[in-house]
Amino acid sequence: MVTATAARSGDTEQTLVLDLPFPGEAGQPAPFTRADVVIIGVDHSETSFEVRLFLNNPAATADTPRTADGGYAGRFTVFGHGGCYGDNGHCDVPEPSTDPTDLRPEHPLTPLDTYVTVTDALQRTLAQDGALQTVTLVPVSITPRRTDRKPAPELLHFTDISLQIYLTPTDGDITA
Amino acid sequence: MGIRRNTAGLTAAELADLRAAFAAAYGLSDDRGYGYFAGLHGLPLPSYCQHGTLLFLPWHRAYLYFFERALTAALRRARGDTTSSVTLPWWDWTSAAAHTEGLPAGYLPTAAGGPNPLAAGPVTLGAADLDLVRTRLPGAITDGPSPVTIRDPDVPDQLPRPATVNRALQASTFAGFSQLLEGIHNGVHGWVGGAMSAVPIAAYDPVFWAHHSMIDRLWYLWQLSPRGKNPPDALLDRALAPWPVTVRQILDTSTLGYDYAAQVIG
Repeated sequence: MVTATAARSGDTEQTLVLDLPFPGEAGQPAPFTRADVVIIGVDHSETSFEVRLFLNNPAATADTPRTADGGYAGRFTVFGHGGCYGDNGHCDVPEPSTDPTDLRPEHPLTPLDTYVTVTDALQRTLAQDGALQTVTLVPVSITPRRTDRKPAPELLHFTDISLQIYLTPTDGDITA
Repeated sequence: MGIRRNTAGLTAAELADLRAAFAAAYGLSDDRGYGYFAGLHGLPLPSYCQHGTLLFLPWHRAYLYFFERALTAALRRARGDTTSSVTLPWWDWTSAAAHTEGLPAGYLPTAAGGPNPLAAGPVTLGAADLDLVRTRLPGAITDGPSPVTIRDPDVPDQLPRPATVNRALQASTFAGFSQLLEGIHNGVHGWVGGAMSAVPIAAYDPVFWAHHSMIDRLWYLWQLSPRGKNPPDALLDRALAPWPVTVRQILDTSTLGYDYAAQVIG
């Protein structure tokens, strides 16, 4: 697991690059039939956005084609709340309650967890490069007006990211 | 029992009824009307919708159920009869037609330029909320004192493909299925653009309901599949506010009085 604070900028200030350790001993990658990049604590309070993932391509940008050649591994989309519409403090997410008598539901802006299945992309990366070194996160805004959409690193806030591999019947990646 | 149908297979009469029902709901400004139901998803506060949680599918099923009932009630009132009814059709954005044409034809402005209640919805918010929406989400709603929703769709081929949906339908756990389907759902909201791209006002666009009918139908199909499972036990007795129902009460669509047409007609 890698915390978001370990991220550095890619070739531009518009992307985030993280060193993502591959499970298993060095030189002996653990076997897997499915691999997920799991992102924890994603903020969804602002404009909607998508995040494209590229493996071993720290130079990837919003203009990089979403193809295997460029290390593209998939994307996730966040349906955003478009800012806060309440009074001051309305959108502050409280700490999880430890009071067993507290029946209130979670705050609607509680950060969410998501994942992108990257099995095929990871297998290609390991076959080509011998090891997984980096994952590049390319956030792009999904504004109401299409012409306003642009690289949007300011929208991507998360807690940590990890690569999780499984020995299960594999599913195909979603790279569309 | 009401049968929800593919938008591409609606007869002219079914489409006319649906448009009349939406128009009737637009004309009601109280808690039977369109603004009330659209607002429950976001603005005006309080917002009730569930996203990024395992209540995403159950909450939206309840949402569609109560809205569908309100549509029929509005249509009957407008027509002065007790037999008219409508169901919420689904927009199959994986279909070949969608990948060629994009939005469902019945939801586009009419070629003759006449009004189509399904082409845009009135955004009946107060002045303060309208100001915030226009400032933070430019391009989501029209200008002026009676704004309506705007769309700015992407090219049709960027809609989700059947293989993507099939991947979700192969999920072996409720959590896995829900997360995958919600991700696909998020992408379609962004594909439509305009009001649909933002939680607070998405439900004011009439195509919201066809999109979510598709999502609910996919959950229904997964429930029927050998992999279908209930949500975790801890969730089954959770209330789906503001609706007076629990997760357990909305799991079986037959007890809710609707079903999905098995085949695309037309």
